[in-house]
Formats: sequence, C-alpha cells, structure tokens
Amino acid sequence: MEHAQHIIESTQEIFSSMIMLEVAAGEPFIRNNEMLQNSISGIIGLAGATKGLLAIHLSNDAALAVTTAFLGMDVDEIDEDVRDAVGELANMLGGSLKAVLDPNGSEVQLSMPSAVHGEEYSVDCLANAATVSVPFSFENHNFTVELQLRQEK
Amino acid sequence: MEFAKKITASTEEIFNTMIFMAISPEDPLTEEKQVLGCHISAMIGLTGDFSAMLGIHCPEAVGLAITGAMLGIELDEIDADVKDALGEITNMIAGGLKERFSEEDMNLELAIPTAIAGKSYTISSPTRSNRIVIPFVVEQGQFFVEIKYNLN
Repeated sequence: MEHAQHIIESTQEIFSSMIMLEVAAGEPFIRNNEMLQNSISGIIGLAGATKGLLAIHLSNDAALAVTTAFLGMDVDEIDEDVRDAVGELANMLGGSLKAVLDPNGSEVQLSMPSAVHGEEYSVDCLANAATVSVPFSFENHNFTVELQLRQEK
Repeated sequence: MEFAKKITASTEEIFNTMIFMAISPEDPLTEEKQVLGCHISAMIGLTGDFSAMLGIHCPEAVGLAITGAMLGIELDEIDADVKDALGEITNMIAGGLKERFSEEDMNLELAIPTAIAGKSYTISSPTRSNRIVIPFVVEQGQFFVEIKYNLN
C-alpha cells in the first residue's frame, strides 16, 4: 500500500497536465483479479532493480472520454487511436512512477506498453508481487490504476 | 537480430526440456495486428537494448494441454494453475531470449509476467512498433508466441 500515494500523485499530474482532466482519487484497495467487463487496459512492465507491472483499467466509456480529451478529437468506438492512447497512458504513468521508484534514473526501465480490450477478461497478478490499486473518477467515469512490484526476496 | 529465429529456438528449448511436449513452429506471421481466438495469454515486458513485450496466446484446449504436460496433472478449466504455468513459460522463453541476445552483447532485463484470460479479448501493441507472431502446432491445436519491440 506504500505506493498508493505515488500512484495518486502521478495519475493526477498526468491527467491534469497531458489530458486536461482533473481526476479524483478514491480509497486504495487490493484488486481481486476479478473479470473486467467492456473495458480496455493499458499494461507496461518495469524491469531492472525493481521488477513490476503497471496497469490502467478503463471502462469503454471512460477510455473514449479520456482519448477524446487527450487527442482533442471525438472518438466513439474503441479503435486504434483509443488503444494507442491507453497504451501511451500506461507509458506516461510508468514513466512518472519510475521517477519515484528510481530517482537516479538508471535502475528501472520500462518495457513496451500493450493494450488489452474485450467484453470480459481478467488481468491477473502472477509472481510473488505486492499489488495495490487506486480507483479514480471524473465526470461520472471510473478507472483504476494498479501497480504490482515484486517483493524483495 | 533474428528475432523469429531466437524466439523459435527459445520456445522449442523450453518445451523440449521443461514441458516435454512436441511442438512444431510454422512461418512467422507479420501482418495481423491482433491475435484472435485465444482464451488465455501471458505476457512479460523486456527492457534494455530494446524495449519489448513477449506474449504467449493459447486457445483453451491448448493452454490446458500445455499446463497439464508441465505439471503432470489433468486440467479441465482455466484456473490459477494454468495462469501461473503460462506466466512461468513466458518468463522462461523471455529468459532464453535474454541469454541469446547477451551472446551478441545485447542486454535485456525482464519485468514480471501477467496473465490475461477471457472469452473475447484482443491485445494490441502501439501502431508504430514492430511485431512478430510465430505459430506453433501441437496435437491439440495451435498456440502463438508473439514479440512486439522497438529498437532504442
């Protein structure tokens, strides 16, 4: 749970500076690997001295609203632009959290982002990793940012 | 770089030595942007001299067969064992890839694996990235090993 505050700061900063949306954070929780419905997830790996995974899970309508604000153009279906925007969002969040986890900038690197989209799917935490999720909301839309970090052995 | 060759060799090595399952590779696919018709996937991020995401995608029957062979048990549904096994296989294939690239003085670090499961989902990479998908045939059908990468 120690990283919940970092997630909140990074997410709010990126949404307000890059997407021009103010997002409100809810209570951090531990996600139970439940099925996501009609959603899109952006996922990026962290490797190096700290290994982990950062994911952002958005409902379809939240993803459309975010992409519309991000690209400054109307999108009304989950297309290539939305997938790219959600992947880029994971990339930006990963970059911001990397700055917190690795202040020297040399020990943690980000992998390439991926976007997962579907009617019903699960994104599971494997490995022996500590996980924390923070829910966010804006204009009646919700999304979750999740960080998994492998515990030191 | 020979990504396809390294992935094929790494995948065959893992299946031959850890899972004891016969697989035969087919020609890499390069066109399709998404892999469809799969019910369980595992992915792992790679960073270093290039950044990448490596994944394995299986239809349900194939995911169950691979896990069953690896663990030596009978399985009839996608459960935590199947997700863990595929995550571990992805981790091992990525480890093999890391080893093969290090022979060429290219360093890679692995992130942690994650599993995606569901009835219908697509996994896509940034449109500007490179992508190679290699199909492998097993008795129960086909599975795919995919890498998406950007050279730094």
